Amino acid sequence: MILADDAVLLREGLARILTDSGFEVIGQAGDAPSLVDLVKRDAPDLAVIDLRMPPGFTSEGIDAAAEIRALAPTVGLMLLSQHVEVHHALRLMTDFDGAVGYLLKDRVSDLTAFAADLRRVAGGDVVLDSELVTRLVARRRHEDPLDRLTPRERQVLALMAQGLTNAGLCAELHVSAKTVEGHVRSIFTKLDLDTDERSHRRVLAVLRFLRA
Amino acid sequence: MSPALAADQAGYDEVPSLAREAAVGSLGLLVLGLVAYGATLGFHLGNLHNALLAVSFAGVGLYVLRARPGHLVGQLFVGLGVASALMYFGRQAGLHTPALPGAAWLAWMSIWLVPLVMAAAGVAVMVFPTGRHLSRRWRAASHAMVVLATLVALASALWPIEDDWRSSDLVFPFDLGGEDAARAIAWPMMLSCYTGFQALWVAAVVTRLRRAGSDEARQLRWFVFAVAVSVLLLLVGQIVWGTALLGLLTLPLVPLAAGVAIVRYRLYDIDPVINKTLVGGAMVLLIFVGYVGVVVGLGALLPVSDRVLALAATAAVAVVFEPVRRRAQALADRLVYGRRATPYQTLSRLSAQLASDDEGLLEGLAATIAGGVGASAVVIWLGDAERMEAVAAWPASPPEGARSLAELAELGSQRELVRPVWHDGIVQGALVLTKAPAEPLTPGEDQLLGDLVAQTGLVIDHRARLDQVARQAAELQGAARRIVTAEDSARRRIERNLHDGAQQRLVSLGMQLGALVERVAATGDPDLLREAEHARRQLLAATSELRELARGVHPTVLTEDGLETALANLVDQSPVLVRLHADLDRRPPPEVEATAYFLVSEALTNAARHAHASVVDVDVSLDDDRLTIEVSDDGTGGAALQPGGGLQGLADRLSVLGARLEIVSPPHGGGTIVKTVLACG
Repeated sequence: MILADDAVLLREGLARILTDSGFEVIGQAGDAPSLVDLVKRDAPDLAVIDLRMPPGFTSEGIDAAAEIRALAPTVGLMLLSQHVEVHHALRLMTDFDGAVGYLLKDRVSDLTAFAADLRRVAGGDVVLDSELVTRLVARRRHEDPLDRLTPRERQVLALMAQGLTNAGLCAELHVSAKTVEGHVRSIFTKLDLDTDERSHRRVLAVLRFLRA
Repeated sequence: MSPALAADQAGYDEVPSLAREAAVGSLGLLVLGLVAYGATLGFHLGNLHNALLAVSFAGVGLYVLRARPGHLVGQLFVGLGVASALMYFGRQAGLHTPALPGAAWLAWMSIWLVPLVMAAAGVAVMVFPTGRHLSRRWRAASHAMVVLATLVALASALWPIEDDWRSSDLVFPFDLGGEDAARAIAWPMMLSCYTGFQALWVAAVVTRLRRAGSDEARQLRWFVFAVAVSVLLLLVGQIVWGTALLGLLTLPLVPLAAGVAIVRYRLYDIDPVINKTLVGGAMVLLIFVGYVGVVVGLGALLPVSDRVLALAATAAVAVVFEPVRRRAQALADRLVYGRRATPYQTLSRLSAQLASDDEGLLEGLAATIAGGVGASAVVIWLGDAERMEAVAAWPASPPEGARSLAELAELGSQRELVRPVWHDGIVQGALVLTKAPAEPLTPGEDQLLGDLVAQTGLVIDHRARLDQVARQAAELQGAARRIVTAEDSARRRIERNLHDGAQQRLVSLGMQLGALVERVAATGDPDLLREAEHARRQLLAATSELRELARGVHPTVLTEDGLETALANLVDQSPVLVRLHADLDRRPPPEVEATAYFLVSEALTNAARHAHASVVDVDVSLDDDRLTIEVSDDGTGGAALQPGGGLQGLADRLSVLGARLEIVSPPHGGGTIVKTVLACG
């Protein structure tokens, strides 16, 4: 994997603990262009990218990710940021055909969960930060359609929005695949959503619904 | 000065050609010869006016033609002059004793020419002063007049129907017979023609006066004045002495005035002449009426001697003379120059203008000064003695370019009055007034002008102070805007520092703490693991709080993705239901975006926290460079500006951007509306 963050201290620390967790860090970059160069030279399975980098300190990370996706479509992309924004999440789900993640930087303090998320992204799934999803689920709506869901279904919906697949849901909720499928079908019917097998499509549909 | 203008002012379009000079000279000699030869044939009072008319019409007509070749009025005047000369000579010859050879035929000619002369004079009056008819209808009327006059002249040439044949010693040279029948038919026709012609002229002049522009009106005033004087004297002569002689003798005034009007009207102003005539006439009338009234009226009532009556009449006239003259002068001024403001009116108008403080203050002042002292133009100059610029004028716009006071003073030698304006012991400007040369300032006007000049000094000073205040206000506004912009960039900097500093460190720390938690878990000490995990959670809570703080200081999404996205994010986090309607086709300036964002943020916070609203509507629209923001909720209301409060801060920020915060929030329910309109220019 390759790490890209302009804060050297954080990047080095991250490289160390990720190596400890069994990842092989083959390169580190301090800004978007050098990240793209590294990927060109030796395409990794995964790139962990700070969303805000020099020179503009705005959303260079996403632009670099888009460039990498065009160059080497197999590279999984995990974007980290100090705060997560819905419109960035929507863009990632729309423009990137899966294998993309968007997490708060804080998540590195739970190394086990973070490592799992990285592996999911490297494996082609999508991962979205739970804070973002919580915020959207908590949002007040006019004649809230979420009221139609059972508490369990709302929990499943939130996990779906974070990018969990049915298998992931089984593991997270400690229930059978059949139960999970039942919940998902029920949610899609109640919310009148189109079902789509691909995980990022499913996340996008749920996000759009939550934001509407 | 352009050559055309120079020629125009001199009265000539070009230097007259030799042929024209020769033609003018020979026609002049012809008229003079006829009149001079006629004069040697004796003196006939009843024929004198023809000589006068011949000389004056021909003279003026030739003068006009010399200056304005082809001018119809000039041609008609020359025609009239020649005809009058022929008539004078013919009548002189006809009246001569012993009879001259061919005298009867000459007299005959002098009589049938009358209607033609009248028609020619009529046309001249109708086309005066431009040489063109007012319209096609007027031209048709004038043609009809000429045709009728020709018919009458024909009848008059064939039969002795004119009055002159009966009253004088003239003999009609031939007899066609049917004289009585001809007279019965032609006489009424002749009378009605003459009456109709005169009515037509008057109608033409009145119509022209009503339609005329200023120059043409001035030309017509010359003419009308001459006609009026002539008619008045004719009437006075008829009534007092029972003869038309006085009126006939003053007839040459008419062509003279007409000639001056055509050629020289720019050089001589008729207005003061009319003015003085009116005053003089009124005074003559006063003396006449007073004297006759006292002598005849009192004389019939009281048995006193004529000498006493004469003394009494003189005394009475002397007593009332001056007050009546003043009244007559005021009345004449009003008639001739239009209404002039009294000094009191002028000064009160001035103070009303000073109170209004508007843009056209100096223009208004110029107009007031002109109205107060009867100037035809006023220009106000501002500056010091070395350099002044015209800033206001009445009635035209101020002239371009700078002048020194000395240069302006040179104008004073011509028609202008120049008065420097002093204030605080320094020359601050000047007034330049244009007045008719024949009408100098009266002492009263002079004093009024002095007062007005002093007032002008005050106005200039006042204006300078206003300018200074406006400048300072603009500077303050600019400074306040800079402060707001600086505050915005400071907020951005703080957010950036938090992002790169404290937040980064906390993330690193969290990472280390996380690694520590893993190692502790490996040791299997549950107490230690609980404590380590607690510390990690505390750290995460702190990071989360810091994140919210950073967002509050400056939302990066605003700079990055614009107002619409930033507002959508605000709505995502709002604990109340928000309906957002934002439609912006472009991005407003950064300080406007930030202000709009903070306004909506504050209003949403208030709606949730204080007003306990259940739904909030946010409407943001951008039209014609104006960003309108309105946030309305259904909460408890009672929102108000409080020192140090969030709304007050917003109101201050808005006022710096030239906008106003409107809050409608009745204290007992009914919700709250917070609204503003920001300029994005």
